[in-house]
Amino acid sequence: MIEVNELTKVFRKPIRGNGLSGMVKTLFSRQYEELRAVDGISFSVPDGEIVGYIGANGAGKSTTIKMMCGILTPSSGSVLIDGAEPYRKRRQVAQRIGVVFGQKTQLWWDIPLIESFKVLKEIYQVSDGDYAERMAFLGEVLDITRFLSQPVRTLSLGERMRADLAASMLHNPRILFLDEPTIGMDVLVKEKIRLAIHALNKTYGTTVVLTTHDMTDIEDLCSRIILLEKGTILYDGPLNRLKNRFGNLKTLTLTVPADVRAETASALSPELAVSREDGRLILRFDADRLPLEQVIQYAFRDLRAMDMKIAEISVGDVVKTILAQQEAADSRADAARNNGGKNDAEKV
Amino acid sequence: MRYVHLYFTCIKRSMISRLEYKKDTVVALFSFFFSNLCSLAAVYFILQAIPALAGYTLAEVGFFYGFSMLPISLDHLFSDEFWLVAYRRVKDGDMDMHFLRPVPVIFQIFAETFQPEGFGEMILGVALIAVCAGQLTVSLTVGALVVLCVGAVFGAVIITSLKVAIAALAFIFKRSGPLLQIIYNFSNYAKYPLAIYPFFIRTLLIFVLPFGLFISLPVDTLLTGAHDPWLLSLAIIGAAAVFFALALWIWTRCERRYESTGS
Amino acid sequence: MLKKYKPFLRAGAIDTMAYRFNILIWAGITVCEVACLVFLWLAVYRSGAGGMDAQIHGFSYREMISYVVLTTIFNFVTFNNDTLWNINTDIKKGTIGNYLIKPISYRGKFSATCLGSLLTMTVMFGLPFYTAALVTLGSLGFLPELSFPAFFAHLGLFLLAGLCAALLNDAISYIFGVLCFYTSSGWGLNSLKVTLISFLSGTLLPLAFFPAGLRELVSWMPFAGMSQNPILILMMKYDLAASLRCVALSAVWIVVLELLAKLLFSHAVRKVTVQGG
Repeated sequence: MIEVNELTKVFRKPIRGNGLSGMVKTLFSRQYEELRAVDGISFSVPDGEIVGYIGANGAGKSTTIKMMCGILTPSSGSVLIDGAEPYRKRRQVAQRIGVVFGQKTQLWWDIPLIESFKVLKEIYQVSDGDYAERMAFLGEVLDITRFLSQPVRTLSLGERMRADLAASMLHNPRILFLDEPTIGMDVLVKEKIRLAIHALNKTYGTTVVLTTHDMTDIEDLCSRIILLEKGTILYDGPLNRLKNRFGNLKTLTLTVPADVRAETASALSPELAVSREDGRLILRFDADRLPLEQVIQYAFRDLRAMDMKIAEISVGDVVKTILAQQEAADSRADAARNNGGKNDAEKV
Repeated sequence: MRYVHLYFTCIKRSMISRLEYKKDTVVALFSFFFSNLCSLAAVYFILQAIPALAGYTLAEVGFFYGFSMLPISLDHLFSDEFWLVAYRRVKDGDMDMHFLRPVPVIFQIFAETFQPEGFGEMILGVALIAVCAGQLTVSLTVGALVVLCVGAVFGAVIITSLKVAIAALAFIFKRSGPLLQIIYNFSNYAKYPLAIYPFFIRTLLIFVLPFGLFISLPVDTLLTGAHDPWLLSLAIIGAAAVFFALALWIWTRCERRYESTGS
Repeated sequence: MLKKYKPFLRAGAIDTMAYRFNILIWAGITVCEVACLVFLWLAVYRSGAGGMDAQIHGFSYREMISYVVLTTIFNFVTFNNDTLWNINTDIKKGTIGNYLIKPISYRGKFSATCLGSLLTMTVMFGLPFYTAALVTLGSLGFLPELSFPAFFAHLGLFLLAGLCAALLNDAISYIFGVLCFYTSSGWGLNSLKVTLISFLSGTLLPLAFFPAGLRELVSWMPFAGMSQNPILILMMKYDLAASLRCVALSAVWIVVLELLAKLLFSHAVRKVTVQGG
């Protein structure tokens, strides 16, 4: 159980002057600029859930994860992992969580993988029986048995990530934090890692919090997503509801005779957006406003469709839309502020 | 007991890492022998120019030098990772994994590296002591022997404590390596009889950076019988206890200030 | 042409400023260390066969103390350089590849950073420290009477020799840095470099104390130009002709070492490309 309450993290960054005079000035006094990386967010994650934590670069994802595992201290607000604050009760919480940072490994670089596991077994006080059982399970789902005797530096990125996942699961943590677990990997390897995360969640009931840029990760794994932008939560809830926020958007792709034109095809309703791509006709509409059967009938009867594909809008498209809307709103606000400033200056 | 077992597991890991880099061990060993050779040569060249240093002959000064290598090498064996903490690891944000484990961070740093090169240093020190002692005409009393052993072992504790305390400052200032280096350098001045220094430097080398307390004074006790060996032993053990406690306190205070990097 | 190296010059200067706090702590502790060193030398002179006022290997105790103080300041101001570690890191993290395809030379980047840091250190710390040391030592009568035109000539040559020393140090650091391609013991290489320089440059003790053969050999090596010679120029222990010879020798060595560095680097890179790093 993770409870996050009004969590805020402010970084102080010294402002550096320009040129030589600026350099000399910073020598004697330092001014700081405040950066609110995480700004008053609250949510909770019940046991056994897989939560996708998404947002653009610099939205505050890693900062939140680091506060949740206790290596960053919040500026205000709190995190509770099963009732304990990770940055205060570091060791107690460490026994309950597993952490994988996609960019860094916690394995020892130059020794055979199995040796790293042996050390971690002692560090986390895993009994011999549990160790044998978990190694058997992890060896199978993560497919790491093959390279157990190889030094970590000789592993490929995907192999290393699987090894890191296994290392973080060795003590059977209640919660697993994964920061970019599939970054830089090819599709097949990503697939393997997703299956493994699923298996871990099913078998041990592990709660998983993962950040990613890959929308397929989200769609395959997460029953719930938290969308972060500029340190605040834009959306928190199930995946399908995020889609519904934009209505029940559907896309119909039709193969039609050459004489059917896009302009005439949109005659059914102004709710129907039509375009022609690669000789196919694409119909986009909101099924809550324009019933699906009606469009299908129209497509076969009036447009003489020979073939048809129905698709829901992808989460990736939805997230992209949300982020784009947010950005547009921000830049409008900025523009307004700048204009205001200019007017003030003119008055003076 | 758990930690003893864990320590040996980690040390075994460290040794396996070392075996992967045999060539580098040769480089490290060579550089270390070379640096000791140069320091010794400097002492030798200076003493060639004068009859004796404040009444101490070349063999006696060499004995000081050789003995100083014992506590230094013992410290070298067990606490080498703190150099990296002070110089680079905190600055590079490379400490996260230690803070994610259910074991005290300071223990993990001790257990991260066992530096077998320290044995080379110890052997060199013992050899130098043997060569110099062969030219000396002092009688080895039980007291002197005890104070030398105490100086070597508890001196190592004091050096390690200084190292831990200063490395801990990196949690606040990001990098404390240069400071650690410069403090460590003071051991060079304790490789001589303290009688050559004026009052304030003697005080510094006995009470503040007590390299003199556990290097110069024990050797002086052997060579001239200037100090009571039993009292001196007690003083060294007491100082080691104080410095060790202080170092642990500073480390725990500073450790709380550690923050990972933001992104 | 040289303009593209300006950012690195700046970076060197700014980094140096950022560490000013550490530098102040350093200054405080170094005063204690120099005191230890001074009293060690005083003990040596007191124990000398000819008594306190005799010269040892051409140095009076006054000159020796001046030498110790000035060398400490000189090394601090001139050898402020992370070249070896930076190369080591670039190799370990593999970021060195990024530099190989950039239109600036990897070597030039470090020279620029080194010069930026030298400039800042000389202005910020060299100026006050040297002035304080020269005034104090001068008023104690530890330095020869100042005759002004000659002093300025020596000062000019000293600055030039200091520049050479910084460049020599950077070239040697770079060469040792490139050796990190061949071993991962960056620590060992660094300690080897530091020992080599402090022993052979006269920082540990003036080269006059070395036995004759070794002294002759070392006087032809680049190291004396990195510490002893600049200081002896400043102390006017060398006349103008000898000073000029020292600077010329350093200049020749800079060229030789840079060539060596170039050869070594291309060999190392070839080795890495073949192995696929």
